[in-house]
Amino acid sequence: MLKNLNSKHIQRFSYKYLPQFPISPNSPKLGFSRSQIANYRSNFPTTIMSSSKTIVLRSSDGETFEVDEAVAVESQTIKHMIEDGCADTSIPLPNVTSKILSKVIEYCKKHVETPNADEKVAEEDLKSFDADFVKVDQSTLFDLILAANYLNIKSLLDLTCQTVADMIKGKTPEEIRKTFNIKNDFTPEEEEEVRRENAWAFE
Amino acid sequence: MAARLSMLPEDCISTVLSLTSPPDASRFMLVSSSLRSAAESDIVWDRFLPSDLPRILSRSHTQLNVSSKKELFFQLCGCIPIDGGLRSFSLDKVSGRKCWILSARALSISLSNEPNHWTWSANSTSRFSEVVELKTISNMEIEGRIQTEDLSTNTTYSAYLIVKVSDHSFGLDAIPCETLISSRTCSVTNTTYLCPLDEQKQQFESLFFTNRRQMMEKRVVEGECQRPSKKADGWMEIEIGEFFVGEKSEGVKMNLTEVKGQQLKGGLIIEGIEVRPKCEQL
Repeated sequence: MLKNLNSKHIQRFSYKYLPQFPISPNSPKLGFSRSQIANYRSNFPTTIMSSSKTIVLRSSDGETFEVDEAVAVESQTIKHMIEDGCADTSIPLPNVTSKILSKVIEYCKKHVETPNADEKVAEEDLKSFDADFVKVDQSTLFDLILAANYLNIKSLLDLTCQTVADMIKGKTPEEIRKTFNIKNDFTPEEEEEVRRENAWAFE
Repeated sequence: MAARLSMLPEDCISTVLSLTSPPDASRFMLVSSSLRSAAESDIVWDRFLPSDLPRILSRSHTQLNVSSKKELFFQLCGCIPIDGGLRSFSLDKVSGRKCWILSARALSISLSNEPNHWTWSANSTSRFSEVVELKTISNMEIEGRIQTEDLSTNTTYSAYLIVKVSDHSFGLDAIPCETLISSRTCSVTNTTYLCPLDEQKQQFESLFFTNRRQMMEKRVVEGECQRPSKKADGWMEIEIGEFFVGEKSEGVKMNLTEVKGQQLKGGLIIEGIEVRPKCEQL
């Protein structure tokens, strides 16, 4: 039976079916220690365990975060850096502060940990996680958009952009300016012209 | 420094706006001069356009001279002839959803090719090259068909028969017509009159023909006996019914029939059937 398993099966199910590698649900990292891997490899030489690496990310304020590679490659930017071989020691992210980076990592971890998106319970759980995740102040929300854009994490970008979109829907221009603290820099003539062009939207 | 909306790159602001709606994006243009270009960007308006637009436009001969997706969106909010003028396509301005008007030629009208019963002619107030006028008939059967892949998914649509009543009409109001919307998954019937309510006529009827209307209404299926409503362009629309468009592709039939009255009628001018999203939705 074991000979028919490929590396994908081993990654997913190994901690269920191989009790000599207990993983506590509270452990902060998903992954195996090097001695565990060596032991495993000696028992099952035909299988290959490749994605057990950890990646070190360095925020703009110098803090380092060690994350599982599977979590880190949720970011296409980081994924390309790894593929291009730039990720030997650590990956510097000068555009992302530690506060935002830790939130982004929390998001990626949760989304990597939920493999069966078809199961209703897991889907509801993820939806409620996402809803709570964006309950932050405006400034943090925009920082998350900037980070998701820079790190190229599509699902996070969609989630954060949708949150801001919901804050814009149905509002008049004056209400939008108030919500986001934007100054009206139109000249009266310009404003009149734009209003005339878009009069239908105000009916 | 706290991050603000105005600090986001223009692409991100456009992505945010593409998740709102056409009226929201248009109102956003008035927020500030520096954010206006984000609201006019192709990223926003491309998302409001239907994804299968090229397929639909390939059925049209109209040349659309547009320099941006926003211009394309607003041009498509006016009717575009499709399938050689047989049908007319447009987008609903508020939601970006697809709307269609099937011309009279695109409908199946029984005996419509018999000049004794129906005549085809041009009409200056119609968007189509031909409309059909009822000369005289006792059984009237009108059917239109549409494929849900030509419509927007997850939307409730309403179908309307667009008509005019000529001055020399007769027998149109004696008995309500039966309407039917059917597809593989649903079937909804209702009843409707072809003429708006005429107060004077109704008073006259109630004096001399007290039971007649109720008797005629009993002959048709259970329904609301709706009345047509007037449109701004001089035509009237008669609601045939509503239907929901899900993910699956299927054909929808829209029928209006009057076969239970047995009396002659004439003077009804048909432009076509309009299919548009039900207005409460955004």
